[in-house]
Formats: sequence, structure tokens, C-alpha cells
Amino acid sequence: MTIPEVFFIDLLTIVGLFVIISMSLNLEFGYAGVPNFGKLLAVAGGAFFVGAVPGRIMMFILSPGSGLDFVQNNIEAVMLLNQVFASDALASIIYLVFSLVGAAVAGGVLGYVASYPAIRLRGDYLAITLLAMAEILRVIADNWPEFIGGSMGVRIPDPFRWVGGETRALAVAVTILAVVAIVFVYLELVLRSPLGRALRAMRDEELSAEVYGKDVARLRTKTLMVGCAIAAVGGALYSFLTASVSARDFNRVTHTFWPWVMVIVGGAGNNVGALVGAGIFVTLRKFITFYKSYFEPFVPFDVVWLEYLLLGLALIVVLLYRPEGLVPERPTKTLRRKELLEIAERVRSEASSK
Amino acid sequence: MVALSLPLIRDAVIFASLLTMLSTGLTLTYMTTRVPNFAHGEFATMNVYLNLALVQVLGLSPYLGVVPSFFFGGLVALLLYLAVLKPLLDRGANYVILMIATIAYDMILISIINIIADYLNRVYKIQTRLFQLKGLDLDLLGQPMIFTVAPALSLIIITVLYFFLNKTKFGIAMRAAIENPSLAEVIGININLTYAFSWFISGGLAGLAGALLPLYMTCNPDIGVRLLISIFAASIVGGLTNIYGAFLGGLLIGLAETLGTGYLSIMVGPWIVPYRPVIPLSLMLLTLLFAPRGLTGVDWRKLLRREAEA
Repeated sequence: MTIPEVFFIDLLTIVGLFVIISMSLNLEFGYAGVPNFGKLLAVAGGAFFVGAVPGRIMMFILSPGSGLDFVQNNIEAVMLLNQVFASDALASIIYLVFSLVGAAVAGGVLGYVASYPAIRLRGDYLAITLLAMAEILRVIADNWPEFIGGSMGVRIPDPFRWVGGETRALAVAVTILAVVAIVFVYLELVLRSPLGRALRAMRDEELSAEVYGKDVARLRTKTLMVGCAIAAVGGALYSFLTASVSARDFNRVTHTFWPWVMVIVGGAGNNVGALVGAGIFVTLRKFITFYKSYFEPFVPFDVVWLEYLLLGLALIVVLLYRPEGLVPERPTKTLRRKELLEIAERVRSEASSK
Repeated sequence: MVALSLPLIRDAVIFASLLTMLSTGLTLTYMTTRVPNFAHGEFATMNVYLNLALVQVLGLSPYLGVVPSFFFGGLVALLLYLAVLKPLLDRGANYVILMIATIAYDMILISIINIIADYLNRVYKIQTRLFQLKGLDLDLLGQPMIFTVAPALSLIIITVLYFFLNKTKFGIAMRAAIENPSLAEVIGININLTYAFSWFISGGLAGLAGALLPLYMTCNPDIGVRLLISIFAASIVGGLTNIYGAFLGGLLIGLAETLGTGYLSIMVGPWIVPYRPVIPLSLMLLTLLFAPRGLTGVDWRKLLRREAEA
């Protein structure tokens, strides 16, 4: 593959990952108005699940007599499993699908548990609780070596090994984009369903939604569980991309703050906005990383920090001057366009005949 | 039972005192503007570095740095209110948007803190990561002076706040603006001024705590988020709408966190020390589950009467 191809595939992969995460945040914040300030919790949760569980199960199934512990003898264990996966496409795919589904379940459970204490209170309590929970999960993973190798992290078996060589990157990209497509279609369907309308009613006027018999706490729990499940799949895919999991890879800035910037800048409440936001954001960052070495000699600090500064400023400017984002939310149509036009025509003719 | 050890108690008292300064400030702005300020930890961290620069570059005593830190912290907070939150409030933004704005401001502060840390390190060759200033502390009755200064300052602050809110005209106006903004406006209280002042005080108190932090613990540019968990826990345990509650919450969380970690590490083993933030988190969650309005929101008299009857 040529260098531009590699660059392009890499870009698509990272954009895809962030689209998954920001679409999940869009479901929570854009549709339902739930301020999930602990996006990191679900993303890291999904990745940690992939680091802790599937490898151990695979070791148990494929080589029960080896006596190797997945985390303690990580390198040997992963080598052993990779040998199996290199020749067995079916086993690889089963492993991949099982891991993603497992991560989604783990994410949903995390979302339920972490939001439970504050789900009935005003959203700011929920935001604080989720933020704190996310930090605690990171602290635990970083300090508990038996879980995912502590601060060292673990390698995980690579389900794309059978593809092999240069095409591996392409296979990962295609897998991620396929997940993006599934999540996108699913969320669009949710948006057009009665559930989607209930969520937006809750977001716009909680009291009215309650008056009309919507159980707000239940809707919030549901939203957070689904949102966290989707974000966890994003985290799991990230670990398959790097074929490793480490608590140090996950932090509040990358996995909570960035998705918020993407959703707000792109436009909350619609999935195209999340897509556009993630696209612009990741592309910009790639260029910043690319060009930052030119600035390095002139400033007495690490250029990375300027990026934080710019993103913080950009977010505040968008909040102040274009709160609807680049792609504003549009009212969803409950009927087909053609039927709506017909109704409009009928109303108009009735009015003129009177 | 493990015997009480002086260094542990000293740590607990200092941390609890500093935490009360942070939690009262956070609660004060929550009462006026109704937004939990996610940048509060960084208000303190900012002043950790201001004081470090004053001490290491100008050679001041760390205790003198408290005064500029108060004003600097106040200005950092005032800027957040005037430049970001006030315009958003004027546009009718809801509290979620305000929270996001404080997170965005938090990121800007993190960036500036790190730039300052890099700059001090590269230009003045000062250790700016994982540093502490314990060595520069003075000696008072055989103990580090911070052991007396922190609790004394904390008590002075809560007393001054009490007199300010109850005995001065401006303080009473502020309470009126908190209780009923539109009614307060009708009788001629400048709400905007009282809100702005609450932000200044809040940032100033965080500044005081920040200036004293390096005398007590190892500091790093990322301590803000660790502090934030304790600050929120303290404020929520205190009820989020009562500064005396926040003071109480700060004491409780500070003591529980330090003593709990200390005794557990003696009894179970030192591996438990990194899990320290679990203590404020669990206390916060217990409060949210059983008394969401905090210690000051519980009607204790009624509860006791019911207990007596049963």
C-alpha cells in the first residue's frame, strides 16, 4: 500500500471509532438530554472487558492444559492463541463477535450500575456521579494487576491475524465502518420511533413528559444502558485495533471531552452532526499532530497543550455563537414526505374552497 | 484497634481543612448560578503553580503566596462567570450547557497549567511535576506550621462567611438573590453583581487551598480531577445548597478519606492506598441513595423524634 492509502485508512479507522462514541453520546445527550460526563466509563469498560474476559475464555477452550495464566504469562498466551487464529478464520470471527457482544453487555451493566444512585435526581447529580465513577474505574484498572495487567496493560489475541499482513488495517477499518453503519441505522430508527419522540419530549420538558405518563427515570436508565453499550463496543474495537488494552490509554480528555466537542460542534440531536463533528475533529487533529514538529523549536512547552486550549476555546465559542452546531437538528417527519405534501395540498384546497 | 498515629491525624486535619475551603466555594457558586463547576479543581491547581513560581523564582515564603493566590483564583473564577456563564445565561442556556461550558473552561485551564509547568521547568529549571514544598515549611511547636495554619484558616473563612452573609448588607442581598432572584431584583438588588462576587469568593477560596496544597501533598498538573471527586463528594454530602453543610461535608470527607486510607493500609496492606478515591465516592453514593439533599437537608429533629417514638 502507498503512503496516502495508509494515511487514509488510518484516518477512516479513527474517525469511525469516534463516530461510534459520539453517536452514543448523541443518543444520551442529543436525543434524551442526559448529561453523560462519564463517557470514559463505558469506552474504557468495553476495552477492559475485552482485555480481561475473552482471552481467558479462549485459553480455557483452546489450550486448557497449557497452565498459562492469560495475564501473568500474557506474551506466551497471546502467541499461542494467535497461532490458532492465524489459520482459523471461523474461530477468529466467533471470538471477535463474542467479544463485541460481551463488551456491549458489560457497557450496559456499567451504565446501569453507575447511574443507579443518581438516576432520579436532577441531571447535574448524574453528571457528577458518572464522572466520578469513570475516574474510579480507571484507578482500579490501573492498580489491579490481575485484572488487565495494571499499569503495564495486556496484549490481546488478534482476531484479524488470518487476514494477515498489509490488508489487516483494511479489515479493521471495514469492521469498524460496518459497526458505524449498524449503529447509525439503529439510532435513526430509534429517532423516528415513539421511543425517540418520548426521549426528546423528556429532553425538552421533563415535567410535561411525566404528565403524559412517561417514566422519566426508566427512560433515562434505558438510554444510558444503550448509550453505554454502544460506547463500550467502540472501546472494544479500539483495543482490537491496537491488539492491546491498557488503563493508561483511557482518559477523561480523549474519551469524555472530545466526544462532547464532536457532538456539540457537529450539532446535537442528529447523527449526521455527530458524524460531521467526529470527521472534522479527527482530521484537524491529524494535521495538528503532523505539523506540530514545526512549532516545537519555537516554544518552551509541549505543543500538545495548545491543542487542549484550542479545543476548549472552540467549544465555548460554538456554545455562545452557534449552539445548534454545524448541522442543526431537524424535526423528524412522522409520515413520508409524499404523504405530508398530499395532506398540505388537501388542507390548502379546503381552505381555498371555503 | 490500631493506635492513633500523629502523622496520620496531622494529614487528615490538613486535608480536611483544605477540602472545606474548596467545598464551600463550590457550594457557594452552585447556590447562586445553579451549576456544578467542573473547573473547580483546576482553580486550585492553577494556584499550586502560581505559588510554586512565587516561591521558587522570587524566593517568597509559601505562606506569603496565599494572598496573591486568593486574588488570582478569584479572577480566574470571575472570568469564567463573566466571559462564559453570564453570556450563556443571558441566552437562556439550561444547566447542561452551563456544565459543558465549565468543562470546556476546565480544559483551557488544564492546558494553561501544563504550559506553565513546562515553562517553569525548561526556563527556570524548577521541578514542576510530582513535587512538594514540605521542606520549605516553617516549624511551630515541633510540628509543621501548615498543621496549625490550615485548620485556623478554614475556621476563619467559615466565620467570616457567616458574618458576611448574616451581618453585612451585601451579604444579606446575596442571600436574597439566592433565595428568590426575581424578587430580589424588584427591590433593587444587583443580582449580577452578587453572583459575580460569589464566583470571585469561590475562586479565591480555591486559590487559598491551592497555594497551601504543595505544603501537604505531592502535586502534579493532573491533581485537579482527583480533588474534584473529593470536592463534589464533600459538597453533596453537605447538601449542595448550604455552605455550612459544605464545611461539614469537607471535614467529614477529608477525615474519612485520609484516616480511612491510612488505617486500611495498616490493616490490609499498602496496596490499598491507590484506591483512596473510592472512599469519597462511596460516601457520595450513599448520600445520593439515602439522603439526596445531604446532611443539612435531613430533618434531624423529626428523625430523632420518630426514633424515640419507635
